[in-house]
Amino acid sequence: MEMNSSVHLPTIEYEGFTEEESAQLRRSGVVVNSLEQLKGWARSNSLWPLTFGLACCAIEMMGTGASHYDLDRFGIFFRASPRQSDVMIVAGTVTKKMAPLLRRLYDQMPEPKWVVSMGSCATAGGPYVRSYSVVKGVDQIVPVDVYIPGCPPSPPALIYGLNKLQERIRLEAAGKKVTG
Amino acid sequence: METLHSEEMILNIGPQHPSTHGVFRLVVTIDGEQIVAADPVVGYLHRGTEKLAESLQYTQIIPYTDRLDYVAAMLNNYALVHTVEYAMDLEIPERAEYLRVIVMELNRVASHLLFVGAYLLDLGAMSPFLYVFQEREMIVQLFNEICGARLTYNYMRVGGVKWDAPPGWLAKVRDFLPHMREKLKMYDALISGNEIFLSRVRGMGVITQEEAVAYSLSGINLRSTGLRFDLRKKRPYGIYDKFAFDVVVGQNGDCFDRYWCHFLEMEQSLNIVEQALESIPDGPVLGKVPKLIRIPAGEYYTSIEGARGELGVYIVSDGKDKPYRMKLRRPSFVNLQILSKLLIGQNMANMIAILGAVDIVLGEVDA
Amino acid sequence: MSEEKKPAAAPAAKPAKAAAPPDPRVVAATALADEIRASIEARHGAGAVEETGAAKTIPMIRIAPDKWRDVVTFLRDSEDHRYDYVELMAGTDYKDYIELVIYLYSMKRDAYITVKTRTPRDAASLPSLTPVFPGVNWEEREVYDLLGVHFEGHPDLRRIMMWDEWKGYPLRKDYSDFDNIPTRGGEPR
Repeated sequence: MEMNSSVHLPTIEYEGFTEEESAQLRRSGVVVNSLEQLKGWARSNSLWPLTFGLACCAIEMMGTGASHYDLDRFGIFFRASPRQSDVMIVAGTVTKKMAPLLRRLYDQMPEPKWVVSMGSCATAGGPYVRSYSVVKGVDQIVPVDVYIPGCPPSPPALIYGLNKLQERIRLEAAGKKVTG
Repeated sequence: METLHSEEMILNIGPQHPSTHGVFRLVVTIDGEQIVAADPVVGYLHRGTEKLAESLQYTQIIPYTDRLDYVAAMLNNYALVHTVEYAMDLEIPERAEYLRVIVMELNRVASHLLFVGAYLLDLGAMSPFLYVFQEREMIVQLFNEICGARLTYNYMRVGGVKWDAPPGWLAKVRDFLPHMREKLKMYDALISGNEIFLSRVRGMGVITQEEAVAYSLSGINLRSTGLRFDLRKKRPYGIYDKFAFDVVVGQNGDCFDRYWCHFLEMEQSLNIVEQALESIPDGPVLGKVPKLIRIPAGEYYTSIEGARGELGVYIVSDGKDKPYRMKLRRPSFVNLQILSKLLIGQNMANMIAILGAVDIVLGEVDA
Repeated sequence: MSEEKKPAAAPAAKPAKAAAPPDPRVVAATALADEIRASIEARHGAGAVEETGAAKTIPMIRIAPDKWRDVVTFLRDSEDHRYDYVELMAGTDYKDYIELVIYLYSMKRDAYITVKTRTPRDAASLPSLTPVFPGVNWEEREVYDLLGVHFEGHPDLRRIMMWDEWKGYPLRKDYSDFDNIPTRGGEPR
């Protein structure tokens, strides 16, 4: 049985097995893999982001999660509690008043966790870069894995960014180095 | 027998909470289930728009207005350009005025749709939220076609609008109207008679007329008390005096009336769009405007009926191309003040119902 | 009466008195402001109103700061005025003084008026209007937060947009971002 090629599990060549042995394993439906890669595969397909709408981008995030774009088909469900989520989508302008709370919410999330910076405000301050009350990029507070440009990014852009995050999780689980 | 005594407890809600529509924090003191005191804390999205505007030219400020009430950005655009036009006594081409009215009323429908969906989501009903986003998506796609953005449009300019409608756009809007009316009927049947919904919102959070006026409430919060106060009728700006529509008013000033007014207002907005589509003339969409917009020294204030109430812009000009001071009268900010009064004595579970019905957008509250 | 001197440096609070014929709307508004002035002075003495004019089409009167709350209460309660709805409250820093302006509307009479007052920049303080109009509570807090005007008699005068440790008043013209540089151990970070 051939593995579905869209699932990026590098199951084809197993270390320490010959080609015939690998083919035999595949035929008999046995998956030999490192536990890390399996975990990466599972995690990347059930991302649970924290509903963390800050500003305008939150509306597009809601729009992406709602019926038309439907994030559920990627296994992405919004959770209201940081304790239940593993991705933080920072959707909107991070102000200096909000920054400590954002950090606290990040700390409350269980490992492993990822951060998506949605929109130019969260990425670098955006149009408010000269404001007295805005943090110039959320990466000053929490480590960011994926940046999505746009003001606000359209739902396809958000979906693309989340797909990139899934790819990143799988690559990292396979031991590859991914530079953000 | 000893009297039972109870202890008060302080409960913090937000700033990250799914039912606060953004980053709004509410510190309530509760005695058992009853709310004794409520202290709203805002400012988690304060971005200093008013200060930034002082170093920007008038045209450059328009994108910043988009990001205030990001659910109804067209109306914010209009509030700013309207004040500048009023200050300069500009003539606006007829077609531009019609296009403005069409996009503003469509945006009002989109904004009210989002209110209905989000309010029901707050009250625990998931499916209306998923339903309304289908229609909202259609309106957003229409905006995407006319100005290239889905949420922050930056469509209006001083003296007109930036782009004329692309070929076939008006026909698309015309086709959308009957569809939307149909769907409104469906949502009405789905939600408005629901016994659970009704028992949660009827008689909840009642605002009297005197309170509403004293607290400077505007928009649906004011009209739900029965006061016929709509700036589109009271002080017709633009070409609103050409259209026939009703001002929707409530009777009891409770949460249900506020919800119901949103619903009925959508129908009125669709009527306005229909009339505008019938009589839209051809012609230019941007009038004769100097390249560098300077408004004469002085101070100017005009307001329009935004999606959430009286949306006004106050500009102090010293004759330069940038405002000396710009103050935005944000309806959500003013409307939210009454919340702590409404909550006292209520049960904790009703807090969400009352907060949701005030209909705030945090970008506008905090500016 | 309305042509009283103004500090030349200040951006005019009145429409430009250009050589062109005056706008009839401005003239009418100024005349109305003068009427209201007479009515206020009949009640509160000659010094209560410092200036009249028009903000484009809306009559404008400027009140002495110590009479601020009394005159606004009078405008709300008096049968001839009944200005019972606050549309806008805004503060502006004019470098020499801070001006507070409210736009009042009368639900019964369908009339508008602009009322303003001034306070010096250092030790800026005004009587609070919250007892008169509960709806200006947060507006006054915002003016306090961003412009540093202290409101006497305000029930809950705290910063609203920024947090309590924040220094300075951002909407003042001399505000500098360097006032709030984060420090670590006394050194700028």
